[in-house]
Amino acid sequence: MIDQLSAFSKILLGQTGLGHFWWGNLLMIIVGTGMVFLAIVKRFEPFLLLGIGFSCIVVNIPGSDLILPGGLFHYAQQGVALLIVPPLIFLGVGAMTDFGPMIASPKLVLLGAGAHLGIFVALILAKMIGFSITESGAIGIIGGADGPMAIFVTMKLAPHLLPQVSVAAYSYMALMPMIQPPVMRLLTTKAERQISMGKIREVSRLEKVLFPIVIASLVNLFFPPVAPLVTMLMLGNLLRESLVVGHLAETAGGSVLGVMTLILTTAIGSTMRADTFLTVQTLEIVGLGLIAFVFGTGSGVVTAKIMNLFLKEKINPLIGSAGIASVPIAARVSHIVAHQENPKNYLIYHAMGPNLAGVFGTAISGGILLALLGMK
Amino acid sequence: MISIPNTIEGAFVLSIIDFLLSFFIISGIGVILALLPLVNRFWKIDEAKLRRGGH
Repeated sequence: MIDQLSAFSKILLGQTGLGHFWWGNLLMIIVGTGMVFLAIVKRFEPFLLLGIGFSCIVVNIPGSDLILPGGLFHYAQQGVALLIVPPLIFLGVGAMTDFGPMIASPKLVLLGAGAHLGIFVALILAKMIGFSITESGAIGIIGGADGPMAIFVTMKLAPHLLPQVSVAAYSYMALMPMIQPPVMRLLTTKAERQISMGKIREVSRLEKVLFPIVIASLVNLFFPPVAPLVTMLMLGNLLRESLVVGHLAETAGGSVLGVMTLILTTAIGSTMRADTFLTVQTLEIVGLGLIAFVFGTGSGVVTAKIMNLFLKEKINPLIGSAGIASVPIAARVSHIVAHQENPKNYLIYHAMGPNLAGVFGTAISGGILLALLGMK
Repeated sequence: MISIPNTIEGAFVLSIIDFLLSFFIISGIGVILALLPLVNRFWKIDEAKLRRGGH
């Protein structure tokens, strides 16, 4: 009788996830809970961290079938892996974004390239510790701080690293309010942080309508490898700026972006299973991602300081770090740090220029990487 | 086609070319943006009309 009960209990236990639970699952559940905590209590990018954290918790409960074929997380992962979700995210972002600050301040677009040194520092370090050149490229692109672009480039260069790269990219993007300020303060003086910037010129409707058409044409002509993303970004922006399809622009920037964000974040979180995620390689990639973000932030600030040597009207070097992309998080961080130094300083509009240029900077860097490494 | 070698030197070469080329290309975008206001001399969009005609 007791033997039967014991055997029956074992079978029952085998059908639950308890029998397969190990410390790795517990660790990843703690990580996921930490993300949910940061999203809800600290309000750190809840749009990203809530979905990533929740699905990270769920997939680390043994027995969860959501990531197997037939489960919704599996199809979310497919949407990302087949590169359907990232371009649609860009469509929504384009429909929400006013590129006016970038169009109005052409000189600040240089910061969109300057803040990408982190990509190359991480790339070189990754190669030094033993990754292949294509894997190093995928790891480096984390420093572009542009989630959809990081996914896109990684799927072309090293698809097996997608979980680690996407988790690192999105986690650090969400944690930028913690990562960037110390670097920004370290590289600037108090006087520099207090620099106020003049008013930006008003951009005409004609310029705003022409901008997406011109950029989409140029990118398709010169950077076909990354054209799908930038083209969708520009299509979304044209919907917005043309003013004649308000309903479409609202749908792209609202419902479509919302649904795609939900799919993307659950897809990313559901790749964080302890058995595949807790490896030395993951730790290396996460570490290199942090280095990339720190160097990208620093190089953006230093580029702004170098520009100030030649400019009559000085720019606040804090907007340099916004060139790392991660729209609009990095611009918001620039504004907040400047505002703490000088409560009368409102840099958000100025910081949006380099921030938007950063999106193109990452696309250009990614496009060149793909081209030089022979990827299409 | 010349390929980038899978070595540390290759990583350096790739990084230097990419970084410099990115600056060059983004400067080109900057030039285009600086020229964009010139279109206002030739054409103007009636924004109010667009908004009225929108859905």
